[in-house]
Amino acid sequence: MDILAILQSDSMAFLIRQTLLFAVPLMIVALAGVFSERSGVINLALEGIMIFGAFVGVLFVNAVENAGWFTTAYETLKQVPSGKAAMDFGLLVQTQGFALLAMLMTAVACCLFSMLLAFAAIHLRADQTIAGTALNMLAPALVLFFVRMIANQNTLNIGGEASSWFMLKESYFGFGIKLTRTTKTASMGFLGKAFIDQVYPMTYVCILLFIVMAIFMYKTRFGLRLRACGENPQAADSLGINVFKMRYAGVGISGALAGIGGFLYATTTMNCSSNGDVAGFGFLALAVMIFGNWKPLNIALASLLFGLLKCVSASYSTLDFNADRIYEFKELGISKHVYNLMPYIITLLVLGFTSKRSRAPKAEGIPYDKSVR
Amino acid sequence: MKKFLAMLLAMVMMLGCVAFADAVNPDDIPDTVTSADGKYEIAFVTDVGQLKDKSFNQGTWNGVKSYAAANNLTYKYYQPANGNEATDDDRYDAMKAAAEGGAKVVVAAGFMQGTALTKAAIEFPAVNFVFIDGWPLSDAEGNVLTNVAAISFQEEQAGYLAGYAVVRDGFTKLGFSGGGGGTNAACDRYGYGFAQGANAAAAEMGVQVELRYSWQYGASFSASSELQTMVAGWYQSGTEIVFACGGSMFQSIVAAAAAADKYVVGVDVDQSYESETVVTSALKGIAEAAQLSIASNYDGTWAETYGGKLTVLGANQNAVGLPTDTWSMEIFTVAEYEKLMASMKDGSLVVSAEDLQADAITKVDFSNLTVIYE
Repeated sequence: MDILAILQSDSMAFLIRQTLLFAVPLMIVALAGVFSERSGVINLALEGIMIFGAFVGVLFVNAVENAGWFTTAYETLKQVPSGKAAMDFGLLVQTQGFALLAMLMTAVACCLFSMLLAFAAIHLRADQTIAGTALNMLAPALVLFFVRMIANQNTLNIGGEASSWFMLKESYFGFGIKLTRTTKTASMGFLGKAFIDQVYPMTYVCILLFIVMAIFMYKTRFGLRLRACGENPQAADSLGINVFKMRYAGVGISGALAGIGGFLYATTTMNCSSNGDVAGFGFLALAVMIFGNWKPLNIALASLLFGLLKCVSASYSTLDFNADRIYEFKELGISKHVYNLMPYIITLLVLGFTSKRSRAPKAEGIPYDKSVR
Repeated sequence: MKKFLAMLLAMVMMLGCVAFADAVNPDDIPDTVTSADGKYEIAFVTDVGQLKDKSFNQGTWNGVKSYAAANNLTYKYYQPANGNEATDDDRYDAMKAAAEGGAKVVVAAGFMQGTALTKAAIEFPAVNFVFIDGWPLSDAEGNVLTNVAAISFQEEQAGYLAGYAVVRDGFTKLGFSGGGGGTNAACDRYGYGFAQGANAAAAEMGVQVELRYSWQYGASFSASSELQTMVAGWYQSGTEIVFACGGSMFQSIVAAAAAADKYVVGVDVDQSYESETVVTSALKGIAEAAQLSIASNYDGTWAETYGGKLTVLGANQNAVGLPTDTWSMEIFTVAEYEKLMASMKDGSLVVSAEDLQADAITKVDFSNLTVIYE
């Protein structure tokens, strides 16, 4: 078998594309957890914040769409491949601008939402596990309440093709243009298919955000102080660092990042809909955080592993790496349930083997009390 | 000349508006009304999935609303508690709430309502119930409940029409993603009908057609990221069109289709309004069935027409078909479709209505169709 051909097959491009869809929301939400825990507050509420974030983002998109904006833009962009209109990159940039704006709104709203946890955990010195759980129960109920008010049902759907509004397509760049219903012109080639066609710029924005925030935590004075508050808050306080402020900041950043993750998840994998559920991704992010030992690089790798397994489990039956129309994974004859279990079993196994060596921030979960030495 | 054409177009459009002015779009009828005495005469109890699933629930609800609005009656919908995990008790509670809320007719959608309906129909004999996708119910002694009207459809015919049409229109790599996990009789019949239709068209044209056939991620008729990834995988490996046969699953399938510039077949109601990727939809006249059965409750013909009986609606009652108003197929024409319908009506074309559960389809021997079961 030709390794190079396999690495450049359409299935490989598909796998990379789809893996990122699962991995990046997980990655950014796990990093959200790190920010909170490294400042000394356990954030079990990641799931709840994601749900709330998905709702706020989708609501914003819905509001813009109610003015007819996205449909009009997308209809125009769809004309491009057939030659009826010239490519309007301005329009594409505007659409992405709205997506960024939605992310920003989500970040702000979820930062505020996470203040509930911060207030309970930092000021009221409540049990952080319970406070987080409370938020996890509050978020879906609150979201469903609003969704029912707006849409008269349990899901806020925007439109049939909503997720494609935010997507880049190779046809925008003159490749893979439809000739008839079943034939297309030459496509972009491997790199284009893996990283440009059918991907969301939002995904890349989140990867960038992940890198920036990771550097921020390790290479700035603020980051050092934040981490100190999670390890030994008394020592940090004795050096004049305001532990309360740092912890509020940690939880706030955590909320913003988790919200963005929730919106990204809803847009890219749920056709831009909100229904008070993110399929347990918040809890998975917690697992990924622990499994990544509270370190960004490990978290990124763990998310990619989980995303890849998740993607393989859903699409194993159509993966064909040497283009001979024999589907390698399906040929193995293993039950589909085994594939579906795989991501979770591997997570359990890796957690089991790595958790001995993993080291949580020392002061996490303990409310800061100035009078205690 | 251009100006004249533009004027002509404008006139035609104006005339069009006048012509359709009295046909009320169901979407314009509010989903909730407030009655003065707090009683609601016509009630609708939803199946699993969303009220506005753009499919089965919504289609039935549109029929209920249209009848009520046209006759100035109050109406209300009831969603059983616990969503997709609703139990028979939850459904019964919804029906009880409807009956106690003053309902004279309760329309219950979906075959899963059977047990709850039996209990409710016995307890409220003065209320008439319409059981869509159902069968006649009887009490413990075996007496048929005359206040329950059972209505079912020949989904296999609708599926056949859709399968036949898309293959005749040039598609050769098809997919079928169904709801109910392979145990929902309506979805099973749609799927088998779709395969039979595709096979028949392929045999006529002398081509070989491939059909990916799956019940995965459809047990609760809801959208999911896994379903979207699976269907995206289908499209990327060559599948050209997928029959989205299961309520809100449509959302995931259409998202995958729009991303890959591929196509979808809708179900139950005309779903081409939702997305340009929808080439055609396998229709069943749920809205009409709801309206007719409710009407019989009011014109006094309930006992002899619907009460206690099973009404099977199919091609002969014009209750299945493809939407000809929004026809977007390029090769297969409306005339050819009507010919096919005619042969279905006169009985020269018979579609097997066998309920092939789960992977039973793999045991059928098709001449020109390869089923890839997943």
